[in-house]
Order: sequence, then C-alpha cells, then structure tokens
Amino acid sequence: MILINKCHYKHITFQIHFWKSGFFLIRSCTYNNYLKIVKQNTKEKTLLVGFPSNGLVGIFSISYLIHNLKMKQIGEIEIPDLPSALFVEEGKIISPIRAYNKNNLFVIISDAPFNQHLAKKFASAVHEFCKKNTIKKIIIVSGMETINQKKEDLKIYGLITHPILDNILYSNQIPKFLSGSIFGTDAAIISVFRKTNIPVLVLYAECHPFFPDPEASIIAISTLAKILNVKIDTQDIKNKIDKLRIQYRDLMEETMRTLQQQEPKTRAPQIYR
Amino acid sequence: MKNNDESEITLPIISSLFDDAEHRILSPLSCLKEFDNHWILEFDLPLVSKKDIRITFDENTINVEAKLKEKYSEEKLGNVTKFEYFKKSILLSGKIDNKKIIAKFQKGRLEIKIPRQATGQLVKIT
Repeated sequence: MILINKCHYKHITFQIHFWKSGFFLIRSCTYNNYLKIVKQNTKEKTLLVGFPSNGLVGIFSISYLIHNLKMKQIGEIEIPDLPSALFVEEGKIISPIRAYNKNNLFVIISDAPFNQHLAKKFASAVHEFCKKNTIKKIIIVSGMETINQKKEDLKIYGLITHPILDNILYSNQIPKFLSGSIFGTDAAIISVFRKTNIPVLVLYAECHPFFPDPEASIIAISTLAKILNVKIDTQDIKNKIDKLRIQYRDLMEETMRTLQQQEPKTRAPQIYR
Repeated sequence: MKNNDESEITLPIISSLFDDAEHRILSPLSCLKEFDNHWILEFDLPLVSKKDIRITFDENTINVEAKLKEKYSEEKLGNVTKFEYFKKSILLSGKIDNKKIIAKFQKGRLEIKIPRQATGQLVKIT
C-alpha cells in the first residue's frame, strides 16, 4: 500500500493509498477509517440517460453529447401507454425515446416528459436495456432549482445509489447532494436501480427550474466529459444559448405541466427535516 | 434546495404558448412567486436588450413587451416565420401597489417585484 496523495475535502483530510492494482483506499484522517473505493474503469459499459426535467438540463446535455461524440442510433425504446407521438426531421421519422451507442458508451434519451405512471414504465424499460446490454453503471443528468442568484457560479451535485460510485464524485470534485426531495422520472429510476446491482449516479446541475437553461447544461456537459474522460468542446452550445431558450419553450411548458401533476402535496416528515 | 420563506409559492404560468405569427410576436415563458405582501414575476426574454423592454400595468395586470435584438426564425411544415417581439400579459390575484414596483433584467431574465395593495379592514379584538 503506497500513500500517493493527501488532500482536503469538505473539512476532512484524506490520505489516498494505492492498494495493489485495481482499487484505492481512502483514509479519512479525521475519522481514522478506510473507505474502499474501486478504481474507475472507463472501459466498462456506461449508460447515460436524459429526459425532460428542471431547466431541460438533461435534454440539452445528453443531446449535445450524442451530437459531439457522433454517436450512432441503435434503436428505439417503446413504452406501453406512451401517447402516440413521433417527430419528423428532414423527412425522417424519429421516435421520442431513442438509444445510441459508441464504443462502451450507451445513451437513452427521451424527448417526451413522463407522468408518474409512465416514469415507472420508463425506469423498467431502462432496466431491461441495461440487462440486455450488460451495462455496469448509469449516469443521469438532471436539473435542480438553484437558490444561487449569481449565475456565474452554478454548481453541480451528485447523488449515488451505491457507494461504489463514491470515487467518481471524489475524483471529479463533485459535491454530494445531501438533502432535498426528488420526484418524477429521476425518482422512478433511482427507486428501481437502488434494488439492483447496477449503480446510478444522478448529476443535478443548478438551474432555473421553469425556464430552459442551456447555460446550466454546460457545467453538466463539462462534468460528464471529465467523468467519461472524453474531450467535448462546449463552444457550439454557448453560441446557441439564446435561440435554444426560445426553441425549447414548448417542451419546457409541457414538462412543467407533467411534473406538476406528480409533485408531492405533502412535505417530508418532520423527523427527517 | 428551495427558499426558506414559508410564505412563498412558486408556479410556472402554464397557459399554452400561442405565438402570433401574423404580428411576429412570441409568447415568453413566465413564472410567478407569490408572497404574503408581494409577487415576483419572472419572464424569460432571451435575445433581448434591457432598453427594448416595456413594462406597463393597471389595477391587477402586468404587461410586458420586448423587441428582439435580431429576428428569430422558426420553420414549421416548410413555412419559415420570422419573429421580432415578445409580448405577454399576466393577471394577478390581487391589486397592485403601483408606487413600489421594481424590475431588473439580467442575462435575458426579467424579474419584477410587485407589491400587493393591502386590503381588508382591521377587526378589533374585544
């Protein structure tokens, strides 16, 4: 075991030890205990999932990634009860939920927002896709309402379903999402996968919840690029921010209408606050 | 991560966006935060400069008009429509206190703080 680094994170001093080949041990000096962290394997199959949510951050980020990495469409995801809707682009019929692939990276993107019922079916369809394609981890990109009014300093937070993904948060300096309530499609996917052996990381970028926020998606794209160890130039989306905000008004409104139907009417129990 | 002010209710104003292609007017997205004694009304106005925004109001309605810096083109079924303005009116649930309205515009988002006129009569407790 070799001590390779010493660093501070959230007021706790860590010593990182390299243990044979394959995993790191992180020792918290404050608490004097070890946390086993498996070395990040960039070759294992990873699935990215994007769907309409706060600020449409997931849609902007994942579609930009598909375009930038020149990923190929490998199929469509069908969900029972999803209202029949197809998009036509340059004469080509496009399904609202599509799957893409390049090397070990897979993507599922939905242009349709889901109500509570459809969110559960979508989560099940994602699970089936993972089993079929032997996916080892999932990364969801979503948005969260910011209390931070200064847009220059937008942050991104990570929520993980399995401790094995702690190293992604740690090595990419992504603060943990510590408290709050989650509802909608992210909650449905988390609920399904926390009971499986496929871990999920949800990246929550601070954004305006009710307006399309491509600017907030830039931090999500940059974070994803770091995690996936790929180079992505964000200049193209930066140039189109204003037009995207106008172009995506209808989807934003449709998303808010759908999300409002499933927002819990009650607060978290007092004991948990 | 929400504001701790318990009296706040934030709602997007969902009204089905109807752009007026004939008059080249886009309908902006907006949301309303309702507090005990004021509202905060937000409009998403990308491609707009502060000097080109006009806000008017009457007893309980706020009207916002803005000219775009450049024409925004949209293609639907082979037809290209060019839009030049944003325009929207919002009806509030109470009377506006017209002396203290404040507006700020940052990064294409217009925020208007609208004080609510105090109404009702005091009930004396005996």
